[in-house]
Amino acid sequence: MTVQSYYLPRSLAEATALLAEHGPSLLVMAGGTVVMPLINEGISTPQKVMGLRRVGLNYVRHEEGALIIGATTPLTRLLEPDVIPMLREAARHTATWSIRNMGTVGGNLFVPPPAGDLAVALLALDAEVKLVRVGGERTVPLSAFWTGFMQTVVAADELVAEIRVPKPGGRTAFRKFGRKQANTPAIVTIAVHLIMADRRVQEARIALGAVGPHPLRARQAEAALTGQPLDTATIAAVAELAAAECEPFTDAIASDWYRRRMVKVQLGRVLTAFLAEG
Amino acid sequence: MAATIVRFVLNGRPTEVMVRPLMTLQTVLREVLGYTATKAGCKQGGCGSCTVLVNGEPMVSCLLPVEDVADQEVTTLEGLTPAEGLHPLQQAFFENFATQCGYCTPGMIMIAKALLDRNPHPDRAAIIEALSGQYCRCTGYEPIIRAVEDAAHRLNGGRP
Repeated sequence: MTVQSYYLPRSLAEATALLAEHGPSLLVMAGGTVVMPLINEGISTPQKVMGLRRVGLNYVRHEEGALIIGATTPLTRLLEPDVIPMLREAARHTATWSIRNMGTVGGNLFVPPPAGDLAVALLALDAEVKLVRVGGERTVPLSAFWTGFMQTVVAADELVAEIRVPKPGGRTAFRKFGRKQANTPAIVTIAVHLIMADRRVQEARIALGAVGPHPLRARQAEAALTGQPLDTATIAAVAELAAAECEPFTDAIASDWYRRRMVKVQLGRVLTAFLAEG
Repeated sequence: MAATIVRFVLNGRPTEVMVRPLMTLQTVLREVLGYTATKAGCKQGGCGSCTVLVNGEPMVSCLLPVEDVADQEVTTLEGLTPAEGLHPLQQAFFENFATQCGYCTPGMIMIAKALLDRNPHPDRAAIIEALSGQYCRCTGYEPIIRAVEDAAHRLNGGRP
């Protein structure tokens, strides 16, 4: 093991100060479920590591119209009944019991696809991310958080401190499609939020995971759905558009061709289930 | 940064170890303290063979820096085993042929213990969901599921 120093700060202020002092040479981890495998395998060989398990960001708060989640809250906490139903569903389909006890909500934003199922639900719910550094903070919409594969807008001196999730104003659906029911990387993960008015879609958010360098909004599909009645012809067209605009990849789980195909099939099924609900 | 001293409670006993930075709980258990029931499988958090309980919550010890469990309570399979005989889960695994090569067994039993602590009457679906992060390449899982059902029955006062 090459690690020379492991820092375990006891507050957010202490953590941001360490980050300001050491800069990008300090590898940041929360639950360790992404970073530790890389270190164990010798793929990542950091000299300095900072763990966030003791910084005091393990909390869920209810505010008017929103759920506020501390960045290092374990995923397991999101299974509780006070949490937005789609987030509970997404948490249940993210990793396994032991990993959910370790992996954190903030950390899930940094998990490379095809993992990171919870982040897809957060994206469909239009969550915002609070970033904190020494002497300042800013809030970024999750839709503008990722800039590429394992790349985000988080600066070298910033930490994700909190995630604010607006309570859904409409109907939601989450579907993770993988090769088995549990403990599996996704072929595609889909999260949808729809606001209906007069039997037409007033507002649509469609988030896709495992079919791009990071969780994506299917903007063309959303636009095609907005203002339309939710009928089979619309659903077929919308599913086709989402399949065309996503950016799937090939890995040991599925080919890019199959992933694109499954976006069409699974999004079609998700939207058809809304239809069946009336 | 030099080695540091970490104190935690292991199977009810206050424990103190000197560790290098970022040393995992798995390494400390197996290589420093000689508690080898906790296995070292994939070291990726993927196989579940190193599962221990931290304050009663299952975690994979291969991804857990031991400094993160300072002042916490860690339970391993050694802590479950009584001085004489076997824990009902161990007995049920033994009698139901739920162990073949045995490598996954400690992790299986620890996660099963966490399940039965929370849900003394789990149905088959709940058992499967709890075990879904634990890999067994020998048994095909059915004997393990039966063993957990049997252990629940015994712990609820039923006859073996």
